[in-house]
Amino acid sequence: MIMVPSLGNFSLWLALCFAIFQFVISCKKNNQSTLYLNRIAVNGLLLCAFLSFLSLMYSYLVSDFSVANVFQNSHTTKPLLYKIAAVWGNHEGSMLLWILVLAIFNYFIFKLYNKTNSIFISKTLETQAFVTIGFLLFTLLTSNPFERIIPVPTNGLGFNPILQDPALAIHPPLLYIGYVGFSAAFSFSVSAMSIESIEKVPWYNYMKPFVLAAWAFLTIGIAFGSIWAYYELGWGGWWFWDPVENASLMPWLLGTALIHSLVTVEKKKMLQKWVLLLAILAFLLSVIGTFLVRSGILTSVHTFALDPARGIYILVFIGILGTYSLILFATSTKKNFEKNYVSFLSREGSILINNIIMIVVCSSVFLGTIYPLIIEAFSNNKISVGEPYYNSTVIPIMIPAILVMGVGPLLSWKKIDVKKIFWKTLPSIVLTIIVITIFLWIYQSYNPLGIIGIILSCWIISNIIFTQNNIPKFSKSMVMAHLGIGLLILGITGSSVWQKEKILRMKVNDEIIIHNYNIIFKEIKEVVEKNYIALQGNFWVYNKKNNIITKLHPENRFYPVTNNSTTEASIHTNLLRDLYIVLGDGNQKDGWVVRVYYNPLVVWIWIGAFVIFLGGLFSININLKILKRLSL
Amino acid sequence: MKKKILIFPFITFLFILIVFFYLLVIERDPSELPSVLIDKKIPTFEAESLLNKKKFISKNEFGNETTLVNFFATWCGPCRDEHVYLKRLSNEKGLKIIGVNYKDDSNKTVEWLKELGNPYSDVIVDSKGLIGIDWGVYGIPETYIVNSKGIIKYRLVGSITKKNYNAFYSKIKKSED
Repeated sequence: MIMVPSLGNFSLWLALCFAIFQFVISCKKNNQSTLYLNRIAVNGLLLCAFLSFLSLMYSYLVSDFSVANVFQNSHTTKPLLYKIAAVWGNHEGSMLLWILVLAIFNYFIFKLYNKTNSIFISKTLETQAFVTIGFLLFTLLTSNPFERIIPVPTNGLGFNPILQDPALAIHPPLLYIGYVGFSAAFSFSVSAMSIESIEKVPWYNYMKPFVLAAWAFLTIGIAFGSIWAYYELGWGGWWFWDPVENASLMPWLLGTALIHSLVTVEKKKMLQKWVLLLAILAFLLSVIGTFLVRSGILTSVHTFALDPARGIYILVFIGILGTYSLILFATSTKKNFEKNYVSFLSREGSILINNIIMIVVCSSVFLGTIYPLIIEAFSNNKISVGEPYYNSTVIPIMIPAILVMGVGPLLSWKKIDVKKIFWKTLPSIVLTIIVITIFLWIYQSYNPLGIIGIILSCWIISNIIFTQNNIPKFSKSMVMAHLGIGLLILGITGSSVWQKEKILRMKVNDEIIIHNYNIIFKEIKEVVEKNYIALQGNFWVYNKKNNIITKLHPENRFYPVTNNSTTEASIHTNLLRDLYIVLGDGNQKDGWVVRVYYNPLVVWIWIGAFVIFLGGLFSININLKILKRLSL
Repeated sequence: MKKKILIFPFITFLFILIVFFYLLVIERDPSELPSVLIDKKIPTFEAESLLNKKKFISKNEFGNETTLVNFFATWCGPCRDEHVYLKRLSNEKGLKIIGVNYKDDSNKTVEWLKELGNPYSDVIVDSKGLIGIDWGVYGIPETYIVNSKGIIKYRLVGSITKKNYNAFYSKIKKSED
């Protein structure tokens, strides 16, 4: 089985051939044979990408250290799950996954082929093939995962233990479905702009399920990244405004705007030009995000092997994609792209507000991320932009968006009656007031941001509850996603505004009190596992009435293979709060550094994200049904 | 008029692209953080010395020759790796290196120096990390180049490695200009 990596390498080159083939035939004049040839190209590409990916996975499973990539990122003692996850836990392997996802989306685009849309789909496949070629060349020329080393080492270098976490194992695949999904939106957009007879094709209907898929998977992918940061980094938080996090948040924001304006195009044929631009930008930002992380131009918590040559390549590729699509955008003039008249007090008005706000937030995040780079390029000074900037720009801008979100789904298309809307939302207003009063009465906490957060969350959720019956069936998925946002805000507010943190040196039998909980440091012992040795603390948590609630076991792990240590937070979760303990450095004599966090409502962040994800999935299903009806 | 606006996304895109390109092409290290203390006098301090019986008084120690100040600890892996290069600087180049033993156990440090050799002319005990705060240290190892006038000329965040050794040494030589 020594041939397997060579097979992987070979099928990757073959995939390149199929992609080029697809590009060439799609460029040609359309006829019956195009469909036939395209079928060969699309299936061939998918098969080769899949085969190549499997080959690498096989090399990881059998720990074939003749493959440099496996040698650098795996180790025989590594648990099976992380051997599999290691395939995409590094730069080269993740590019292979990226290509596989591209091929899968390519296949789904091809599936849309029918007699009425052949020119449009053909053009889309051409663009998609071009994007795929770009990434294939990048992988083969600068980051080939199948490179061999001679002589074969006896064992691997392991991989970063901080990355050995189930949440992080599935985080990249989900995220890549998101990023790559926008490539389909990009291709549709380019195709719609370059075809003369586009009036006849409902391109937005084709684009929508892909955008929904990208957006839903991006949502859950970001959530898993955040879960990883929360459980594994041991800093007590779940979002740090790190460049990598921003890189995933920006396409998400644009994707949110894109979904909403696609609905407007669908219903009113307005904002078409705008949607085309958003689709382009969402994908460009996805690739720029990748560039920022992989080129070493910024430092972040993500450590990928840095190589300027790769950076130059991706940058040139982004340059080609961006220049072509944005110039096409600036020059294409089609009458039906121009219909834009909006009354603000209408469904489309509320969507427009959503769009504007998402763009502003996205720009703020983008500016915060690249501003230090721009400053450095022009003045040689170094600055860093941190959390305070993002909190003070993003939060205030988001507040009106969320207010509008509560009422938007109740508005009708075109004009509405303000009085009617007031009566419709009155129950929610009343309920929100009641809840906030009860809340203030019980908790006696008057933090303004916290109160605003609770109000917003309450506003959205109660609007959904009271209008349940008026919502048409096909909008249920939207309602679900909005509910998820409501829950998400609840979690974000609770955990950021009312978080409590205590850091101190504790000896065995010391006690600490945090928010009505009494925590006793019972013992510390050594635990030996297959690939690490850990110091494990034993903490008993009591409530006010002196009943034991839980025993927490934070660990300080040492991985001999890579000679580094990690902290493993121990967390007790319920629907109201998390208790979070981290064991730091220390010794018997002076005690250990212990950090204890009381994080209210954190779990609602993940629940919210999951509900949004489900809403997205249902919506894909509904939109696919609409598409089926179209093709009949 | 309206058409001209449509070119705006492209122009923004082009601008960002050029900035990225420029930053990729020029030699730069994104992890390099200039210290606010650069070109300033060293912060004065008095502290316990690990090796000598008498107190360490910064005023008496700096200002005669080029001196390196190296923040290290026995619990820090990269410090161990960089130790070889510190020894080279002290033995081969005859540099004066003052070690600041950051948040560490003194007994362990003495053993550590016995095992690996001692490149330091003096080791200061900074068990609470207070000297580190004065110098703006945020992670160890960190090494400062102080010239013969007692002025900080350079700060290296992270360890001295095979890769940056020569560049670092040329920074030391330049510090006297």
